[in-house]
Amino acid sequence: MSERPLYLDNAATTAVDPAVIEAMTACLGSDGSFENPSSAHPGGASARRLVEEARERIAELVNTRAYGIVFTSGATESNNLAILGIFDADERPNGHFVTTRIEHHSVLDTAHALEARGIDVTYLDCDAEGVVTPEQVLDAVTDATALVSIMHVNNEIGVVQDIEAIAEICASRQVRLHVDAAQSAGKIPLDLSGWGVDLCSLTAHKAHGPKGIGALYVADDVVLAPQLHGGEQERGLRAGTLATHQIVGMGKTFELARPDRDGPMLANLRAMLWRGLERIDGVRLNGCADRTAPHILNVCFPGVDGESLRLALADIAVSAGSACASDLPEPSHVLSSLGLSDALAQSSLRLSVGRFTKPADIERAVERIGAEVARLRTLAAGAPAWCSS
Amino acid sequence: MDYSLEVQRRFDLPHGAGELPDGTRGVVHGEAEDRSLGIWVRFDVQVHEGLIRVVRFRLFGCPHAVAAAGLIAEGLEGQPARSLSCLDLRTVADDLDLPAEKFGKLLRIEDALLACWRALGATRD
Repeated sequence: MSERPLYLDNAATTAVDPAVIEAMTACLGSDGSFENPSSAHPGGASARRLVEEARERIAELVNTRAYGIVFTSGATESNNLAILGIFDADERPNGHFVTTRIEHHSVLDTAHALEARGIDVTYLDCDAEGVVTPEQVLDAVTDATALVSIMHVNNEIGVVQDIEAIAEICASRQVRLHVDAAQSAGKIPLDLSGWGVDLCSLTAHKAHGPKGIGALYVADDVVLAPQLHGGEQERGLRAGTLATHQIVGMGKTFELARPDRDGPMLANLRAMLWRGLERIDGVRLNGCADRTAPHILNVCFPGVDGESLRLALADIAVSAGSACASDLPEPSHVLSSLGLSDALAQSSLRLSVGRFTKPADIERAVERIGAEVARLRTLAAGAPAWCSS
Repeated sequence: MDYSLEVQRRFDLPHGAGELPDGTRGVVHGEAEDRSLGIWVRFDVQVHEGLIRVVRFRLFGCPHAVAAAGLIAEGLEGQPARSLSCLDLRTVADDLDLPAEKFGKLLRIEDALLACWRALGATRD
């Protein structure tokens, strides 16, 4: 059996923490809390208590009230519920939606669906480092704007947007703000109540929890139209039997997450990785070095074909662009938005560290990447300038 | 993208990767590129007494292109020089289980070897 690849793709998903597995497993068997949390019998009440405890743990991590947490299947569903839910509930005839060109596809594709319905959408550009300014948001908002949606941490380049300042602008213009925090929860502090965020998408599997469970934070005064029908679960906003084991898993995940402890640890690993890689001739960092999440590093290796680099590094699990789009030959829309050429975008790798990444893993990755970049550049010696610009 | 074992093997250790030193006798060069396909390739071919003795190549491109160039280079060595002008691309594609979207890159490899063939004719002239 071949050795398992070194895992540096924690922005795509993470291994589930053993303590989370233990908590989830306790909900599955006949001697556990397997009952329907909506059932009136004692077993249902017991499961319901576990669900509410999980809701509390999640709310604590993002500093808000548990009542605002609505369970979903993950951040993609949360993004859809937030955006479509606002516009379906909006009684004005012509709505306006503001977002950015570097959002996750679950936001961008939903924006396209709104456009197909005749809703005006403004896509904000980022600068060459991936930053969108609060002033851009202020300029884009009109009297017709019903919602602004900006991601907290970009999933491809790790750039952190100034959500606090953007929230202040949205509040001053009485416009709702949705934040996709799939990449940030658990790694950097989130203060949803303090910042005045109206809607926030969360997920478990990016923070060493299970896939298939997420949440949408919905502020008390937000009117949202449900996108699933057939039950009154989750304040009538998300029909369907609550998956107790998944919810308990997410609750345990957020209970274990400690941004004050995990953030610096991840940042050290990321810094170690960059220190090693920046010795490679011509390598460049994609994104803003000063405003980055602690776990994501996106680097470009000019003069190296990206597809060849990924196969050469098959012993290291990394992503090119976002994992959701990495089978597509088109360059990443985020890297293109930074102004990278197709060749440079294709020559870029996203490496992301997690709780279980060891310094020895970083050393091995640096050595392997350096060796393969050198091999492929030697193979392409004498290639024309377009291969590296 | 999935790769056949043959592509992986030839990508890891491509036969003929590199270049022939300047001044090597009987060497012709041929080059082709297509930016839209993301490929550049250059062959150095040494021909002696009508036979291809050594083939070396340099390439910027995907693993399929690297594997194809290596397979072709290996197959040409020892063959008559005219083999440069009549490659069996279908067999190469089949041997590597090449996806249809990669055929264009194979044609650029053929272009580079045809350039070698033309250069060889020029040396005779």
